[in-house]
Amino acid sequence: MLEAKGLMVFYENMLALNNVSIKCADNQIVGIFGANSAGKSTLMYTLAGIILDMQKKEAMAGGERITMMGEIRYQGEEISHLKPSLRARKGIILCPERRRIFKESSVIENLRIGGYLASAPQAKKTLAYVFELFPTLKHLQKRIGGFLSGGEQQMLAIGRALMAQPKILLLDEPLLGLSPLMQSNLIHATREICNKMQIAIIVTEQYARPVMPIVDYAFILENGSAVLEGTRQELMDNPDVRSAYFGIEES
Amino acid sequence: MAITTQRRKERIDRGINVRTEGIYALMSIKELSYLAAPRLVLIVGLLILPLLLPDMYWKRVITITCIYAFLALSFDFLAHFVGLVSLGGAFFVGIGGYLAAIANTYWGFPPWLTIPFAALVGGAVCTLLLFPCLPLRGVYFAIVSLMYPLFSARVIEALDIFGGTDGIMGIDGFSNHFVEEYAPLGLLLIALFAIRRLVTTDFGLVLRGVKDNDQAIRASGMNVTFYKSVAVYIASTMGCLSGAILVHIYMWSGISLFALDFSILPIAATVIGGSGTLIGPVLGCFILVPISELLRDFGTLRIVFYALILVGFIIFRSEGLMVWGQRKYHQFERWTQI
Repeated sequence: MLEAKGLMVFYENMLALNNVSIKCADNQIVGIFGANSAGKSTLMYTLAGIILDMQKKEAMAGGERITMMGEIRYQGEEISHLKPSLRARKGIILCPERRRIFKESSVIENLRIGGYLASAPQAKKTLAYVFELFPTLKHLQKRIGGFLSGGEQQMLAIGRALMAQPKILLLDEPLLGLSPLMQSNLIHATREICNKMQIAIIVTEQYARPVMPIVDYAFILENGSAVLEGTRQELMDNPDVRSAYFGIEES
Repeated sequence: MAITTQRRKERIDRGINVRTEGIYALMSIKELSYLAAPRLVLIVGLLILPLLLPDMYWKRVITITCIYAFLALSFDFLAHFVGLVSLGGAFFVGIGGYLAAIANTYWGFPPWLTIPFAALVGGAVCTLLLFPCLPLRGVYFAIVSLMYPLFSARVIEALDIFGGTDGIMGIDGFSNHFVEEYAPLGLLLIALFAIRRLVTTDFGLVLRGVKDNDQAIRASGMNVTFYKSVAVYIASTMGCLSGAILVHIYMWSGISLFALDFSILPIAATVIGGSGTLIGPVLGCFILVPISELLRDFGTLRIVFYALILVGFIIFRSEGLMVWGQRKYHQFERWTQI
């Protein structure tokens, strides 16, 4: 469905992504794991096209020059020069790191903004689904976004992304700063979204352990390069992954 | 796309920038001149400018340009290093101008005394009046600083104080043309280099911190309002200084000192020169003010040319001249294979 080949991103002279190739099939959850500065967020920005926007802003302010190379194919079509708004219309929806909800709008307003491009019946249906998935949000509809707790904000961010009718959902560090209970709730919700809505999901995370149970395929990034990839079982069986990402020492 | 033929342009710092940060190890005349040349070009260029222009009219234009340059410098300092967008250039000019006029005509101070008096006291008056909106974040400072000059002009008109609409006449001029030409230029250069130095000191770091994240500054145990008011005092002192000089050049002080031009033109100059460079806005004034004089024959049509220049800059070189120039001077570019 989505396939990126040989992605290279430079922030001025710093190499952020080095020849990264990833792919994600229909109705599949793909995990991308890596430490800070591995290039996870840059990869997400590149897939969603936000990087083109950053590139333009930096160029206008005379700041860093961002260079991108490689190709991104989505449903067989080359999209690496497509603006983020057009990619979103095609169904590539990013749920950004640190949530970035509209802090001064209420929960229901946030969700309605997300559903701006959807048709009215679609939006209504998705809204009902979001409330079914996250019942907490239903009770907080009138609450201003900025006053929600971290977990509620993350639910809202995912809900907002779903309202935009994604065909492929990019979740950038959805578990950042959440309690273990909330983490497991969100992870189960992610699996459910994938099954129910029949969409592909790419999720990035620093800690592989909570996310690993739901992913079908995963990539491991280190210093901007994809060093390892495989299905869940292949990675779980790999001794390097076991020690580096699960803390399991081989006897 | 084939990967083998791809290349990108990279920016490399010139050698002397790389070797040390801040403290330069100077090895040769070439390196010494690399550092000193831009500063010398500016200083010498500004100082010989009045000599190159034989015409009294153009010498006067240069002096007026200096007045605007002070305001642009103060705008850039507040906007880029403290995060306060000031639309009150006219307010600073007006307060400084009227104070100098009053000190000169009512109390008989000579110009060399009225100018520092108006700058220091005027800065205090402006800071005091702007103080109520300093603890607030957001648009309040901009709005209040825009309102004060309109308000002051109407008060002077309505109450008929300080000469009312006629203004205060009979103010002493400068003793000779040499002083009139070089006092503003010299003071401008001093102010420029002083502010450049100031923003790199610890105090300047705190100010930039206030702009980025005032909550973090508060959490570090510093009083944000205090730092903001000191910055406003510095900026308004420069504005009042320019106002006082202007009054002694025109030998007249009136409510046109509160005209909107003094607020708007420095902002336009900052856009053209490149905000955050300090020298950029000064350079912007030296471009905009003379152009505005050249276009005087076109009457009100000059506003159109003016607007076109501005829009052109925003579209094609929105970073500003000096940001672009400094990058070209300090870095070079070359193509690299990937």
